[in-house]
Amino acid sequence: MNVRKPLSQRVTLHTILILGSIVMAFPLVFAAAASLTTQADFIRSPWFPKPTPTLLNYRVLLFSADKFPRWVFNTLVRIVWFIVLPATVAVLCGYVFARLRFRGRSLAFGILLGSMLVPGIVYQVPLFVMLARWPLAGGNNLLGQGGSGFINHWPALLLPGIVNVYYIFLLRQTFTTIPSDYEEAARLDGANTFQILTRVYLPMLVPVLMVLVIFQSVNLWNDYVWPLISVSANPQVWPIGLGLQRVMAGAVPVPGLQGFNQPFIFTVATVSMVPTILLFLFFQRYFLEGVQGFGVKG
Amino acid sequence: MKTVSAPPVVRPTSLPAPIRWAQMRYRHRHAFEAWIILTPILLYYLIFAIIPVIANVAISFTRWNGISAAPVWIGLSNYARYLKPPYPLIVLNTTFFAVTILLVQTLIAFFIALLLNEKLAGRGAYRALWYIPTLTSAAIMAQLVNVFTAPYGGVINNILQSMGRPLVIFTISGFWMRSVIIVFSIWRGVGGPVVLFLAALQGINPEIQEAAMVDGAGGWARIRSITLPLLRPMMVFVLVTGVIGAFQIFEAVQLISKGGPFNQTNVMLNQIYNDAFVNSNFGVATAGATIMGLILLAASYVVLRSMREEQG
Repeated sequence: MNVRKPLSQRVTLHTILILGSIVMAFPLVFAAAASLTTQADFIRSPWFPKPTPTLLNYRVLLFSADKFPRWVFNTLVRIVWFIVLPATVAVLCGYVFARLRFRGRSLAFGILLGSMLVPGIVYQVPLFVMLARWPLAGGNNLLGQGGSGFINHWPALLLPGIVNVYYIFLLRQTFTTIPSDYEEAARLDGANTFQILTRVYLPMLVPVLMVLVIFQSVNLWNDYVWPLISVSANPQVWPIGLGLQRVMAGAVPVPGLQGFNQPFIFTVATVSMVPTILLFLFFQRYFLEGVQGFGVKG
Repeated sequence: MKTVSAPPVVRPTSLPAPIRWAQMRYRHRHAFEAWIILTPILLYYLIFAIIPVIANVAISFTRWNGISAAPVWIGLSNYARYLKPPYPLIVLNTTFFAVTILLVQTLIAFFIALLLNEKLAGRGAYRALWYIPTLTSAAIMAQLVNVFTAPYGGVINNILQSMGRPLVIFTISGFWMRSVIIVFSIWRGVGGPVVLFLAALQGINPEIQEAAMVDGAGGWARIRSITLPLLRPMMVFVLVTGVIGAFQIFEAVQLISKGGPFNQTNVMLNQIYNDAFVNSNFGVATAGATIMGLILLAASYVVLRSMREEQG
């Protein structure tokens, strides 16, 4: 519609949207403001915290909570691992399912897609058992008895989740939109499949791989349920999502923290949410593409 | 779909073995490469996705603490547990939360997407604001809700106190705990559907709307007879993925209400977690997970069918 709406209508629209946006943003802005106050000031202004402002809470969390750098490091390790491997798998499978003709193709693809309907908990309980009873790991004998296997150790955080069907589907869809002329030309020049994948296709796949990079980063930064199930007794390997939740719940002693301190809890929440929000603001395009990737193309 | 065509088959009469091998590899290049790539991936998938599902069903027929060597076969007893209190209440709560959250969230998202589809200044900023809560950690934010609803010293009660009103003890009230969980879940979940609906709306050819406007169709009539039918594929997608997500509500319950008071807000995932990892009763936990999977299959089927019937 090329005609602009009348002023009164535009004002109504903006009013509704601004009110809605305030509701959506309020908890986050409240947390950020509260993180800059002291407990005494926080109680003095109940409606909205007036920043003192003090960075004391941040200093306590970032420097004296000794496990904090460790949790960030653990999370970064998982982010790199769960970007490189699932991306490789997705590119290879995407190519296989979109470009190659072979017997059993739709069966293999169907088996992979079938898991998307199965809720996570159906895997998680048996996976826990499987990792706990893994033969010859963590004090287990050949039959998987006697120890605790991979539970509370790194393999529990790294083994499940390498084949991610969502990304396989996304890459297959992307491959079908690329004309095969490029590949045929490269084959005439004598390139093999590996060279075609890395030299011809990879540069074209950068935007969709960015979607993968960004979604994996946010999901792993926020990851909570599987680490809670598989490594909750070993703070040394916790990712940030579990670690910060435990700090907020008061389950982990924080040196330098004095008494009842709500602003500190708001500080932890702020530290948890700022990286993902910044990532979103810088790479909004890829986020929106990723959210829409399935709905529009699928 | 265009694919790289296989070269014409030339039957060699007598060639040395290495060349014959190379020729065969070339002729069957597609199948050859496909299975070299797929074999390790499907093997991994078998171990980490297919066997766990089978194991889940198998364990659900046994009594097992997850440690002892031999699970004891007890038939359908674990499933029978789901007919005795408090399990029916837990299934009911899960359904109540899922349906309420999904419907309210989808309605709000549709309405906001309609507003954002108008040519407005700052549209991108509004869209970003609605999406940002989705980027936060469910666990951290649920944990944060407790600071707002804490009986003594909580933000809400501090405000009530400053106004001279009586304090509300949220944690002992089923009504308040339910409301807090629902509002929190919608706050965190509404951004995705907003983005999806907006994308679908922007895919509608504006000329159709203009033609209807020339024909004198009002705003509501245009939404009903043009926007909604054209949005049906997206509506199906949002509802099917939404129903699968909504039934799996967990962090909000585990960290805000812990299922209380007296199981009034307890949900299936929280109970399955407790059965397995707190009570070490893997039989009941896996039975719950199987029931959960069946409910999700049924729910997605119902959504798909109702959307198809409506189409007539």
